[in-house]
Amino acid sequence: MPVFALVDCNNFYASCEKLFDPKLKGKPVVVLSNNDGCVVARSAEVKALGIPMGVPWFQIREQARRHGIVAFSSNYALYADMSNRVVEVLSGFTSNIEVYSIDESFLEVSGFGNWPGGLTGYGGEIRQRIADWLGLAVCVGIAPTKTLAKLANHCAKKGLAGTAGVCDFTTMAPETLTCLLGRIEVGEVWGVGRKIGARLDAMGIKTVRELRDMDAETIRARFSVVLERTVRELRGVSCLALEELVPDRQQIISSRSFGTLVYDLADLEEAVASYIAKAAVKLRAQDSLAGGVQVYIRTNIFKPEVPQYQRGVTMPLPEASADTRVLTAWALKVLRRIYRPGFGYHKAGVMLLNLVPRSSRQFALFDAQGGAMDGRSERLMGVLDSINGRYGRGALRLAAEGVDRSWQMRRGNLSPGYTTSWAGLPRVRAN
Amino acid sequence: MYRQTQTALLPLPDPPKQYLPLDGVKVSAGFPSPAADYEDARLDINEYLVRNPVSTFFFPVQGDSMQGAEIFDGDILVVDRSVRPSHGHIVIAFVNGERLVKRLYRRAGKVALVAEHSAYPPLPIGDGIDLEIWGVVVGKFKRMV
Repeated sequence: MPVFALVDCNNFYASCEKLFDPKLKGKPVVVLSNNDGCVVARSAEVKALGIPMGVPWFQIREQARRHGIVAFSSNYALYADMSNRVVEVLSGFTSNIEVYSIDESFLEVSGFGNWPGGLTGYGGEIRQRIADWLGLAVCVGIAPTKTLAKLANHCAKKGLAGTAGVCDFTTMAPETLTCLLGRIEVGEVWGVGRKIGARLDAMGIKTVRELRDMDAETIRARFSVVLERTVRELRGVSCLALEELVPDRQQIISSRSFGTLVYDLADLEEAVASYIAKAAVKLRAQDSLAGGVQVYIRTNIFKPEVPQYQRGVTMPLPEASADTRVLTAWALKVLRRIYRPGFGYHKAGVMLLNLVPRSSRQFALFDAQGGAMDGRSERLMGVLDSINGRYGRGALRLAAEGVDRSWQMRRGNLSPGYTTSWAGLPRVRAN
Repeated sequence: MYRQTQTALLPLPDPPKQYLPLDGVKVSAGFPSPAADYEDARLDINEYLVRNPVSTFFFPVQGDSMQGAEIFDGDILVVDRSVRPSHGHIVIAFVNGERLVKRLYRRAGKVALVAEHSAYPPLPIGDGIDLEIWGVVVGKFKRMV
């Protein structure tokens, strides 16, 4: 029988910001989404103020000023590095690990029952090591199914059950667990969204316990096999296995909203070229070639009063490539075809698709240059990636990507790359 | 129209080079290279300075208060959070909203942060001082040119 542990970082983005800046200790901190739009992470102090997740920043600006809330733009480089470190620490405990999101991982821990203090003790050890080594707080939920492990984690986080950030359903008496599930709203169940939650509510199913005790057949008939599986998981029957292997991506997307509306083709060209550059790095990192390029542009659909236009076109390439220059050339060709003057563009994106592993590539039948360019292109791209790896993304780039980048995302209060750039390292005072 | 009636394999004008690691090549005759067993031995400074990469962070130094411990302005400190701080360690400390580097004094129930320069008096940690020992300094490095 499997046992799952869900390890979830508390207030992850906000905690990363606090980790390196002692001035933020005890202060309410929020992290904002792209273009500083909405609150995507809140420190404990902000949660205590009752500020909800996802609220637009402009709506709470006044409140934030009153309470001294410090707002940060999303520092993805920092969060990604800290997230990778968390996964690395977890990998030291077991290799049976599924990285579920940037701040959550499932571990299969059934083999560790002999640990001092049992699985609860094991969870405590995980929590302690991440606190010691990385300065981040996590909660651990332990249960015989992934769905229950998620709930156990919720209990640990909210202090409903368990101690010191660890909640272990496997050591709980059945009646205690039943009673606990009777106090948790059904909407907290993994996979029960707002829509399903409302329908369940209308049927009189308000708590997790009530969902668990529903007739599985009825649930399947009225909802889906997916929710039926959830019901079984709530009863302790494991239906969802650890998804350890992350398959190579079948497509790579790079897109952003612009900080300000973009009208000129030249600006769009720069944006598209830079997205291609970013996507191509990922493409080469997984050692693939792209067989097609899609480009799309659109105006701000949230402002129906302004003229609207959107268009996306996919271009199959004559020969699969991982060369930024080739991909950029095709993407710009597509862009020039779909661009219409007179609109204020709000967003652009590119997608690399029809990906194939480099090893299984096919040469074009009538490729004039044969494979001769191939080794040269590969070496050039290798140099490009290693220089950008060392000196920061975009240090070396195609002229098409532009120099001033007026269209770039607004990130008004970005913290330094504390762990990801030499210039951003946190200084310590010796004076 | 293109029409192909015959297939021929021709060498490319600029063939991609294939690099092979030396230790993957079997030498069947002659005197074996005395260096063959010492492949891959080039030194990596990370190996020397960073024992536990996952828990290691870098902090540049500003100021001269630790020069007695050979820590100078502009040095970059290697800080390993997996080392448990104890008496005598040089540590990164968060004190009242500041990031400091000091030597940790912890004896007979007393805690203090001590500089390594006569101009800077020790900082006793008592009530009203908010102290977090962030990590232990395990090394340092600096680029000269």
